Amino acid sequence: MSQSTLDRKFDRIRELEEAGRLGGTRGNRALRKMLNNPLALVGLVIFSIILLASIFAPWLTDHDPSKINLRAMLQEPSAEHWFGTDKTGRDVFARVLYGGRVSILVGLGSALLSAAVGVLIGCYAGYKGGWIDVVCLRISEVFMAFPQIILVLLLVSIVGQSLSNLIIIFVISGWGAMFRLSRARMLSLREEEYVQALRSFGVSTGRICYKHILPNALGPIMVNVTLTTAMFILAEAGLSFLGLGVPLNIPTWGNILNVAQDLRVLQNNWWMWLPVGMVISLFVLSVNFIGDGLRDSADPTQQG
Amino acid sequence: MIIYITRRLLILIPMLVFISFLVYLGLEFTPGDAVSYMIPPELANQVSAEKLELMRESLGLNKSFMHRYWAWLTHAVRGDFGHSLSGGVAISEIVLDRLPATLELSAAALLISTIFGCLLGTYSALHRGTVGDSGLTVVGMLGVSIPEFFFGLVAILIFALKLNWLPVGGRLMPGFDSWFDHLPNIVLPALVLSLMMTAGVMRYSRSSMLDALNRDFIKTARSKGLPEWRINFLHGFRVALTPVVVLIGFRLPTLIGGSVIIEEVFQWPGVGAEFIEAVRGQDYPLVMMIALFSVFAMLLASLIVDVLTAWIDPRVRMGEK
Amino acid sequence: MSESSEMNDHDLALRVLNLKTYFYNDRRCNKAINGVSFDIHKGKTLCVVGESGCGKSVTASTIMQLLPTLSRIEEGEITYYSDDGEIRIDQLERNGEPMRAIRGSEIAMIFQDPMTALNPAYTVGFQIGEMLQYHTPLDKKQVRARTIELLSDMGIPLPEQRVDEYPHQYSGGMRQRAMIAMAMACNPKILIADEPTTALDVTIQAQIFELMDTLKREHGTAIMLITHDMGVVAELADDVAVMYMGNIVESGTVDDVLRTPAHPYTQALLDSIPVLGRGRGQKLKAIRGSTPDAYDRPIGCQFEPRCDHATAQCKSMPEEVGINISHRVRCWHYEEISRND
Repeated sequence: MSQSTLDRKFDRIRELEEAGRLGGTRGNRALRKMLNNPLALVGLVIFSIILLASIFAPWLTDHDPSKINLRAMLQEPSAEHWFGTDKTGRDVFARVLYGGRVSILVGLGSALLSAAVGVLIGCYAGYKGGWIDVVCLRISEVFMAFPQIILVLLLVSIVGQSLSNLIIIFVISGWGAMFRLSRARMLSLREEEYVQALRSFGVSTGRICYKHILPNALGPIMVNVTLTTAMFILAEAGLSFLGLGVPLNIPTWGNILNVAQDLRVLQNNWWMWLPVGMVISLFVLSVNFIGDGLRDSADPTQQG
Repeated sequence: MIIYITRRLLILIPMLVFISFLVYLGLEFTPGDAVSYMIPPELANQVSAEKLELMRESLGLNKSFMHRYWAWLTHAVRGDFGHSLSGGVAISEIVLDRLPATLELSAAALLISTIFGCLLGTYSALHRGTVGDSGLTVVGMLGVSIPEFFFGLVAILIFALKLNWLPVGGRLMPGFDSWFDHLPNIVLPALVLSLMMTAGVMRYSRSSMLDALNRDFIKTARSKGLPEWRINFLHGFRVALTPVVVLIGFRLPTLIGGSVIIEEVFQWPGVGAEFIEAVRGQDYPLVMMIALFSVFAMLLASLIVDVLTAWIDPRVRMGEK
Repeated sequence: MSESSEMNDHDLALRVLNLKTYFYNDRRCNKAINGVSFDIHKGKTLCVVGESGCGKSVTASTIMQLLPTLSRIEEGEITYYSDDGEIRIDQLERNGEPMRAIRGSEIAMIFQDPMTALNPAYTVGFQIGEMLQYHTPLDKKQVRARTIELLSDMGIPLPEQRVDEYPHQYSGGMRQRAMIAMAMACNPKILIADEPTTALDVTIQAQIFELMDTLKREHGTAIMLITHDMGVVAELADDVAVMYMGNIVESGTVDDVLRTPAHPYTQALLDSIPVLGRGRGQKLKAIRGSTPDAYDRPIGCQFEPRCDHATAQCKSMPEEVGINISHRVRCWHYEEISRND
């Protein structure tokens, strides 16, 4: 910012200050910061729109996403078919809406599950220490030694493709990060005085771990969940695009993109893949905005 | 320093062996075995059960799991990683053949993302609060939100199909031999592959730079009457660099995995594309070996980065912890 | 020669008149220094003493134009008396050429914590060398030689070896000596020392102060020493300025202020120092209350809420009054205070 703009801002603040019009902060600081962050708000709005559109898909379109109609193949977008039709005459818009259900389920569901698994094990191992901790740590290291996509594909080739398999595989590949995070927090918090006090009162390990310490670690965990959701949605999209994710008979955002592997489709039938890609990007962008907003508001070191 | 490296290598090897054991175990659960793939389905019923058993025995397939694993391990240590199920080519040959392409692509992406990421991030930090900074922040967030393969598809559509500036895919143009002629082919895949990482590096170097510029020694440097550029770069950027290098190191593994999809999209003949073909074709030995190889690459990458970080920070180099 | 009527004008190194520096953030304005005036004389040490948060460091930063982006000099004059005439520092562009030429070579600064004040990624020799590189015409070899000479002058053993070492390889006291070497490299007219020994052991403290005193005598450097320790003031100061919440409440020669304090705050500060030899039974007189929040300042005299001599008149800021030619005080009731002592 140039010096003159700064000067004008300063003058304004100084006047207000001298008139006694400033001062006093009210309300929850975290909430206020969140609301003041325009990007986070935009993210929240976009996220909700897409999520709700997917949930209320049947109300938003009367087309059946799996209904084949060979007489209406490869049609461009029109009033009848907002995103046009695909190779077998299925309405693309309907597929995107219904596909959103599965994609968001996989993305958000896997993120929450892997967070749950990681946090539970991480808190316990971090608190107890000893050989339990070492064993869990080594196991997580083993899983984290694989590049994620390679681990996922490896597991897919072993257990086969299915929706539930994919979620389980995602959880297996993702729990490690959350495990590390909550374990680290636990290690630092467990030395706090209030924990010693609880221990001396005879409160059980489980209670101390989950009821007393965990709430203090929630901030970074929530931020991480949003980032993991983004990661899994992108991962599912990529895998399904290759035909190796959710089986092709269930529409997901990635599955719809599968057709774009064909260069002719890429060039001539933009409506079949471009809108889906944009929806994925928007959704992930909104999740990232929210995550950023959460991270900023939870960070006590930043100025208000 | 040497002790440090040796110690790390000594931990790496048992880890690899253990993981290979796990992967081999996992493959036990896959349907079929090498023999069933050697016989085309049409002839399957014609071959008698005894014949199949004889073939299995000759290949050592009817021995116990531990036996087979041990056999595999002893072969692997000598460099014989078995054969691909489709075509029977030695796996080590396949991997070595495809490796240069993947390394080329990864190196290019790493170079692009480091240079652009640091440049843009530093620019953002020095022009904090301006339109340029805000714009770059949003672009950065877009960069980590757009699926890389989708970005690749759009890039192919615009630059290869519509504008015809760059080739659609593949590594070599037919008829061109020199290395320089490869350049047009590598541009798109490298740019697309580096997308996410550039965004990450940009964001991180911005915050690292802001952190560094906030430190006391910057005030000292300014109090000496040094020019701004020297303060920002020799003092600020130099100190901001260390955490950025650490981050790039952390993210190196994503390059190893991330190239898989991009190679497929751009038909880039690397290890990643081979992996996908292997998964699709249920070529389990190949799948397993490439997976193991990628683990090795990741562990090696993290070792290299640790060594580099230690070297950059004089405090660690001198032996202080 | 200037025509001022002030007696000691010809040996002035720096004059600060009615300086105001305000800090801004998103919503508030902090009047960190609100009308501060003092002189620094050549070859003398001015001690600026006060509690944390009173604005002494801000004053130093303002003189060097090292303020953070979200702050500015609101009003006032800072006049530096260089060999080529008077320079109004407050009118110079913050990082412009003339200001940069002054920084380091004419006015230099040393900071409180030498560990964080030095860049961990470069050798000490490099950092001292920068000073010489930019303010003197010496070439590389000469710079290195001069750096080694400086380190040795400051009492650092084995300087030929030390010059290539990193800050973390030095001990605390040596680091501060290295900082002083860096600051003195170009023989500045004024040395500003911002609590240079707070981060060091008491024994090292004495050595550092001795070093600074020697420099003052040998080079005629004017020193502005910022401290919160009255003991240091008694030892080293020629002149004293006592600061509280952004104002100088009392200033004068060390005799004036320490022997005949005229402000309640100065008196309270002196009373709260334990005296060696008086034994355990001695009564320590603590100043009641606590320093007010920077954003929630009292109206009028800043010390009024904590002062035993406060009256209704103290709700308006006292003017600065001259008790004698060197001794000034900012208090409505200074006459009673000095009489009672």
